[in-house]
Amino acid sequence: MLVEHSERGEAMGKTTGRWTLALAAGLLLGGTAAAQGASDEAYEYFARNCVSCHTIGGGPLAGPDLAGLLDRRDRDWLSAFLLDPAGVIDSGDVYAQALLRDARGVYMPTPPGITADLADKLLTVIAVEDGLDKSRFAGLQLSDRPLTPVDIALGRQLFNGTTAFASGSPACFACHTVEGAAGFGGGRLGLDLTTVYARMEGRKALGAWLGAPPSPVMAPLFQDAPLDADEILALTAYLKHTSESGVEQASSGVLAFLLTGLGLAAVLLVLFDVAWKDRYRSTRRTLVEGRRSPRLASRAVEGMEGTP
Amino acid sequence: MHDELLFAILPYVAMGVFLIMTIQRYRQRTFTYSSLSSQFLENRHHFWGSVPFHYGLLFVLFLHLAGLFIPDVILAWNAAPLRLFITEATGLAMAVITLIGLGNIVLRRMGDTKSRTVTSVSDWIVYALIGVQVISGIAVAVFHGWGSSWFATSLTPWLWSLFKLQPEIGYVTALPWMVKLHIVNAWVLIGFFPFTRLVHVLVVPNPYLWRRTQVVLWNYDRHKVRSKD
Repeated sequence: MLVEHSERGEAMGKTTGRWTLALAAGLLLGGTAAAQGASDEAYEYFARNCVSCHTIGGGPLAGPDLAGLLDRRDRDWLSAFLLDPAGVIDSGDVYAQALLRDARGVYMPTPPGITADLADKLLTVIAVEDGLDKSRFAGLQLSDRPLTPVDIALGRQLFNGTTAFASGSPACFACHTVEGAAGFGGGRLGLDLTTVYARMEGRKALGAWLGAPPSPVMAPLFQDAPLDADEILALTAYLKHTSESGVEQASSGVLAFLLTGLGLAAVLLVLFDVAWKDRYRSTRRTLVEGRRSPRLASRAVEGMEGTP
Repeated sequence: MHDELLFAILPYVAMGVFLIMTIQRYRQRTFTYSSLSSQFLENRHHFWGSVPFHYGLLFVLFLHLAGLFIPDVILAWNAAPLRLFITEATGLAMAVITLIGLGNIVLRRMGDTKSRTVTSVSDWIVYALIGVQVISGIAVAVFHGWGSSWFATSLTPWLWSLFKLQPEIGYVTALPWMVKLHIVNAWVLIGFFPFTRLVHVLVVPNPYLWRRTQVVLWNYDRHKVRSKD
């Protein structure tokens, strides 16, 4: 609750300022997007949450192209769908079922923090952008040129972190592994990305996803530090390469890592045994036993003299 | 809602209790500010409990603090996979010896009558909480690597957002449940800290590490004194 309040408070502060500007601009120009009800807030929301799966006039990605959306369905249906995609699909709605088939059975996630008001504004954004010659949401302009071994090599470096992303975003290797990753492999906080290129059905959808990663763990890290187009192309080349390796997932480095840790721990225990041979663990006992054995007693006294 | 409770409210409750109660206990019950020693009661088992436990725990704790205070340095070091593996394997080994030490401590306290007598309920709670913390930490290290990197990118911004009184729980709410358990149990430990033997952490005689050595001189003939009896 604390978060929502503070974020909302901040957002409202910003929006008020922007509205004043937008209103002034609207009065001057007449008929701008803002005047038609598509707020900056909705534009920003669309850019952060929708573009990884949708374009407006750039063809389908993981989800359909939204060009002509308001000609295909009426506003009420679209608004209900935005508020609860899974609910509408599961209600048996014929059109929603067709969308689900087109998306190969992948449900559209409920847009984070969606409200009826926001849904309405988003539909206005889509309508306004659809009316333009070329929408700013026509999709990431990723080059169509053939991917080369140089791209793959750069992609591997970016993935592993040996070459840093220009924006300072964390390397993929911290949380993800792929087939052919060095040593114990990449991290295991996130998914194995070996076949992600095939799963996303190619460069365009994967590129769009990487342009604005929507997953809840990645979104906060990348929304203010996005990858640039060259980096995305190189990563796509590398992930295409791993996808074509013919294996479903990376060989697991977990056992090797665990055994290394246990081995190192054993070495440490041996070191402790050597380092504290005559101290701490036997002072009193050796002194007591030394009453009976002169050899032990002299050893204990030597040990005592070494201690501060 | 329960994410807000665990990641935006619990941390403040824990930090508040920690601050107020450690000060209150120091001022009002100064002489309880220690960890009661039981080394004189039993010292065969003691070495393999206390030594690996303390060295392991201190190392792992400092790695976590490095992630909090110098995340950029950690990420720069981890930029080469080999260096990342060295960090992670060393951290794992230290966590394993912590667990071995803790196991020995608990076995000793249970097995030895004299030690068990001086063990309080709060001591047992401390052992249970630290046990959960170390085991969940090892599980996270093994099944959700590489934490030394993703702590610096996901947990550090969340922790700083807490200190700035603007909690951004989006960084943590989608993490695996094992990681969440490790985080939540850490806050419980911090909140419980002032009521336990753990307060000795705050009064470690650190100057012993750098003060000049003290030479002990006898101004009497030791042999004469000893030969009296």
